[in-house]
Amino acid sequence: MTPESMAVDMADTYSPCDALPAPLRSQVIDQIVHQGQLALHCTSADQRPMLEHFKTQQGYDFLVDVTAIDHLGMDRTERFEVVYVLRRTRENSHQFRLHVWLSEDSPNLPTVFDLWDSARWGERETHDMFGIVFDGNPDLRRLLMPEDYPGFPLLKDYPLRGMGERRQFPNVVPRGDQIVEEEPGDYPTSIGRGMHTPEYTEEVRRDSKPR
Amino acid sequence: MGLESLIGGEGFLTTTVNSIVNWGRKNALWPMPFGTACCAIEMMATFSGRYDISRFGAEVVRFSPRQADLLIVSGRISLKMMPVLQKIYRQMPEPKWVISMGACASCGGVFDTYTLIQGVDQFMPVDVYVPGCPPRPESLLDALAEIQKIVGEDRFDSGKHGS
Ligand code: SF4
Repeated sequence: MTPESMAVDMADTYSPCDALPAPLRSQVIDQIVHQGQLALHCTSADQRPMLEHFKTQQGYDFLVDVTAIDHLGMDRTERFEVVYVLRRTRENSHQFRLHVWLSEDSPNLPTVFDLWDSARWGERETHDMFGIVFDGNPDLRRLLMPEDYPGFPLLKDYPLRGMGERRQFPNVVPRGDQIVEEEPGDYPTSIGRGMHTPEYTEEVRRDSKPR
Repeated sequence: MGLESLIGGEGFLTTTVNSIVNWGRKNALWPMPFGTACCAIEMMATFSGRYDISRFGAEVVRFSPRQADLLIVSGRISLKMMPVLQKIYRQMPEPKWVISMGACASCGGVFDTYTLIQGVDQFMPVDVYVPGCPPRPESLLDALAEIQKIVGEDRFDSGKHGS
């Protein structure tokens, strides 16, 4: 098989968009095939009817993943895109993505856990990382981060090194026959301040000069 | 002429309580492995036949902190894991020692991100650091030898470890 013929095989011309009822089909903003993978785009108002249709009418029985993209600083109409990866596992198996455009001002979407159970954890993770609220999800606790974590770390405007959460613990030290908790002291070495800062690079250069 | 000859007969030796207790302690360390990432693989290699930590008397690996006296922190410690590690440290009976194995446990390694503790020694005492990513089993054995040195030099009734 040559690379060209493989590429032709992968570029599937089938689209679930064609079988959408006309009013819904007109709401599909964009349809993109990249590397043989299909993506449909729609607005947040149409998310629930579209997903209901794909589940009940077109037999997409498996929600592979729910995640989001933060387009902060890019030239986009809306800041967020929530991505649903849908798969039909029975006959005519097929997989595509539905990208739902979501504004920064009201990052809310109706939940779809009643359609696919796997949405529970996907929505929890998306909430945990991006702060997007899925209305109606009964268990929107944090999934990966500690429950008292304040921020949403995958937002583009969230600093990579966090906002000081890494230093929040007490220092446990043995004193006599007990263990006491102290404030952690200033961290005296370059370690913990972040290794990739200009100051650190400067320090390493200075220290590595021959004396 | 030592005391032995005055006591007479065979089967006696003289020593101090301190050195015999330390001798016992340092040659029978019971490690508690706290393996959270790739370093744990090297730690397992150290425990198993090829490198065989039992040659140094530390083969009784305990998965309950209540029965261990050497905590080996091997791997990345995240924000969510740090309270657990502290709890495990508190649960270990005195005297206890800590090895921080690998770059991640000692300083966060390459993972300078929001979720990773940049060195567990900010929040709990560490006796010996093992550099490397991951450190070879030989390095861990060397760290064990360092711990044994520390144990041997302790005064067991000093109160430093609660006595
Ligand atoms: S120091 Fe290296 S080997 Fe050890 S846990 Fe970190 S990344 Fe893994």
